[in-house]
Amino acid sequence: MLETILIVAFSGAIVSYILGKVSSRMRNYLSVLVWLSLVGLTSYIYFSTPARKVFYPDFLGFDLALRINYFSWLFAITITVIATLCVVFSFNYIKGRERTDFYYLTILLVNASMLGIVVSGDLLTFYVFWEIMSWSAFLLISYNRGAALAAGLRYIVMSIIGSGAMLVGVTSLYSNFGTLALEELPDQLATSSSLYLLFIFLLFFLAFGIKNAILPFHTWLPPAHSEAPAPFSAILSGMLIKMGTYGIILLFYVISGIKLFLGLSQGVWSFHYILCGLAAVTIVVPTFIAVLQDDAKKLLAWSTIGQAGYIILGISFGTSLSMAGGIFHFFNHAIFKSLLFLAIGAVEYRTSTRDLNSLGGLIKKMPVAFLATLVGIGGLIGIPLTNGFFSKWLIYKSLILDGQPFLAFAALIGTWGAILYSYKLLHNVFLGQLPEKYDGIKKAPLTMQLPLGILSLGVLIFGILPGLPLNPINKITTSLGFDPLNLSIWGTVSDTGTVNTLNIFLAFVVVAGILWYVFRSGAKSPEIAQEDSYAAGAPIPEDKYNYTVDFYNPLERMMKPFLRDLIDDFYSWIVEATNQLSNMIRKTYSGYVGTYVMYIVALLAALILVQLGWKIW
Amino acid sequence: MVMTICGFIFSPLIAIIMGLLMLGVTRKVMARIHWRYGPPLLQPVIDIIKLFYQKAPSHGSLFDFGVILSLTGSIVVLLFLPIGRLAPLSPAGGLLAITYLMLVAPLGIALSGGEGANPNISIGISRKLILSFGYEVSLVLGILAVMTRYGTISIVKVVEVQQTGGWSLFSWPLVVAGIAYLLILPAILGVRPFDVVSAPQEISSGPNVEYGGKYLGLSTISHALSEFISIGLFVNLFLGGWGLWGAISPFQEGGLGVFLGVMIFLAKIFLVYMAGLLISAVLPRLRVDQAVRYLLKWPSFLAFVGLVLAWAL
Repeated sequence: MLETILIVAFSGAIVSYILGKVSSRMRNYLSVLVWLSLVGLTSYIYFSTPARKVFYPDFLGFDLALRINYFSWLFAITITVIATLCVVFSFNYIKGRERTDFYYLTILLVNASMLGIVVSGDLLTFYVFWEIMSWSAFLLISYNRGAALAAGLRYIVMSIIGSGAMLVGVTSLYSNFGTLALEELPDQLATSSSLYLLFIFLLFFLAFGIKNAILPFHTWLPPAHSEAPAPFSAILSGMLIKMGTYGIILLFYVISGIKLFLGLSQGVWSFHYILCGLAAVTIVVPTFIAVLQDDAKKLLAWSTIGQAGYIILGISFGTSLSMAGGIFHFFNHAIFKSLLFLAIGAVEYRTSTRDLNSLGGLIKKMPVAFLATLVGIGGLIGIPLTNGFFSKWLIYKSLILDGQPFLAFAALIGTWGAILYSYKLLHNVFLGQLPEKYDGIKKAPLTMQLPLGILSLGVLIFGILPGLPLNPINKITTSLGFDPLNLSIWGTVSDTGTVNTLNIFLAFVVVAGILWYVFRSGAKSPEIAQEDSYAAGAPIPEDKYNYTVDFYNPLERMMKPFLRDLIDDFYSWIVEATNQLSNMIRKTYSGYVGTYVMYIVALLAALILVQLGWKIW
Repeated sequence: MVMTICGFIFSPLIAIIMGLLMLGVTRKVMARIHWRYGPPLLQPVIDIIKLFYQKAPSHGSLFDFGVILSLTGSIVVLLFLPIGRLAPLSPAGGLLAITYLMLVAPLGIALSGGEGANPNISIGISRKLILSFGYEVSLVLGILAVMTRYGTISIVKVVEVQQTGGWSLFSWPLVVAGIAYLLILPAILGVRPFDVVSAPQEISSGPNVEYGGKYLGLSTISHALSEFISIGLFVNLFLGGWGLWGAISPFQEGGLGVFLGVMIFLAKIFLVYMAGLLISAVLPRLRVDQAVRYLLKWPSFLAFVGLVLAWAL
């Protein structure tokens, strides 16, 4: 069953490429069919988890295997669903561009390799799929050429550093323990010294941290997310960076185990608290950088870094509440962030811009995209009745009750930053006055509306009934060694704090119903055009009545000096310094024979001097 | 059970009446400070009834929906916020749920105003968001200090603890966070010197500029409720909620105790509001950047110290 999934996924990518040469319509149908069947297969496999399948026995002394458990199943099902929706979204988005076959090949390959990552049963298979994913993602990020090529280059350089570190880690594990199978490593690592454990942690954390864009490894993400084609931005932000999350959970809680991870400390420095601190910085700083962005996708990209911080915070804090919150937030973020990227993609498709300063008032023209964005930012902020509420609530609660109010403060203030930038996104694209040049904008095509609708429903359903995903998540955290949570379909019960989202929902419905009735019974209100608004008696200037530029000007002026991306500056400085150094070295090759003869003579002279002075030989 | 049902009915009613009364008192007091006679106390109620019979233009379905959403958000928060001992929905979520639900009301106004497509609205909302970022830092720190000190995230428990342990505002070390909360309270209420959001003389009442008729009526109620909620939260967190140094403990059980609790709670709200009103009446308006600079300076510093103390001691 497991190998069937991978075979279908990979062959689907190649066959659709070949089919694309014949008919693009057939290729589109096939790619959706493949991923729909993968959704079916993955859902079906839930009933036979956990499962393990050796596909190459006794390779270098251990079995190469595929395995699935609840932990990898949750990732697998999210990958397949998001991939299907993004492929559907691609139909119109990519139509008419050049190299569409290539686009479909790579986008299917990325998703197939992600499936491969989560079902690998040993670190070697894991590494192979990891590399396929990294490289095909590079091809997709740089699909648009131009600025996208530079963004792709940034991504791949950091990605190579990460996979290089991982390769060192994998070889070190193999040479020490003679095995890379995920089942056998925990017993082996339990016997090793804490210094070696730290060494392995750091190597793998470099790889996974770069993918997950934890500060200070985040610099590849903003350009990559904003330059990639929109459906792939959704996959990139929704799933691909979560492979880092998967790896981190795999490393800390599967390979080494909860006791080793939480116990790794030196004096007052505890490894997991340092990680928590890093995650808190990852929440706060990128969130406020996002507030300064004027490019819709760049804003979302910075927001992705911040939200990934919540996931890492939940995971590395290491209580059963925070762990469930972290995994749940991964799941929620995959839904609402893909939704937001797709919605902005639809706007970009119709208006061919994503500049927040020039858009506005599109709510009347693109109502579905507006509703999708509204629901998406609801989840992003974590407003009750959207899915982000409960996952963030779990993390906050755990932090507060376990005596870490400062981490909780970072998380809560990150949410305030999220409110600032998400309202800016919503307002500057969809609200305010509609500029005249967008008068003729049409609705997004059906293939775009469909994914938006499905994802929005997901945000709302998992917000009102968080128990649906939380029950499998509870199984995961229990299997990783945490205490089970007391859950029900509408939330959680405990004596330290209960949440009942269903009650909140009912309260909202009843109150809104009563108010709607009151509202309806008031005097009727005729609908008027947008130009027909109050301007203190002055005539309304055409096309200049939209307030979007510098939306948070007073705040931006205040924050800007503190919010420079110093890490990016530092990396750029390294690049610049390396360039200059290489240039200097290059100048020694002057092309004159005389110069080279001079080098030889100088070297000889130096040798003679050394010999005269110290008599080494 | 009876108490829960009573809570569902009475909590919103009490809050709406009290909120509108506070608006009426504001106008009266302001007028007296200006040496005017001022409108009757019930003028806001009269206005709202009148507004429901007036025809008013609508800018689209989100324009309608946002106003309703805003008021719905306020009323749902009231079901979570202990008013005296009435808190019908408090078992469904604690302090964290309240802080999040408090976002819905401004969000509703912002959405509705957004479709109003008037730059005054956009400016008002942008100012509102900037200003709330300014006070939210201290607010979050203050709430965290209380939660950390009492080791709970349930607001009902916070109120209960204060019946035996004394009010948070008068107990070390929460007093520091409490003072910070007092300093930001005018900004939360949006009264002078922090009335940058509505600022009638600059941006024509900001988010309210396109509202007339029932829209204005509903948004006025929503505004009154959010003032009630902001002070109510303060009273519950720092002024002991329904408690009065054990004065109502003889009547604790039964309907009389609940009634007295509500009355004490309302009295506290009124006193805090009046204090804020008298200070704000004589102050001029700040610019939004001045306001944020102030909010991020002393109140945030105090609140941070308050959290450190509450955590360390």
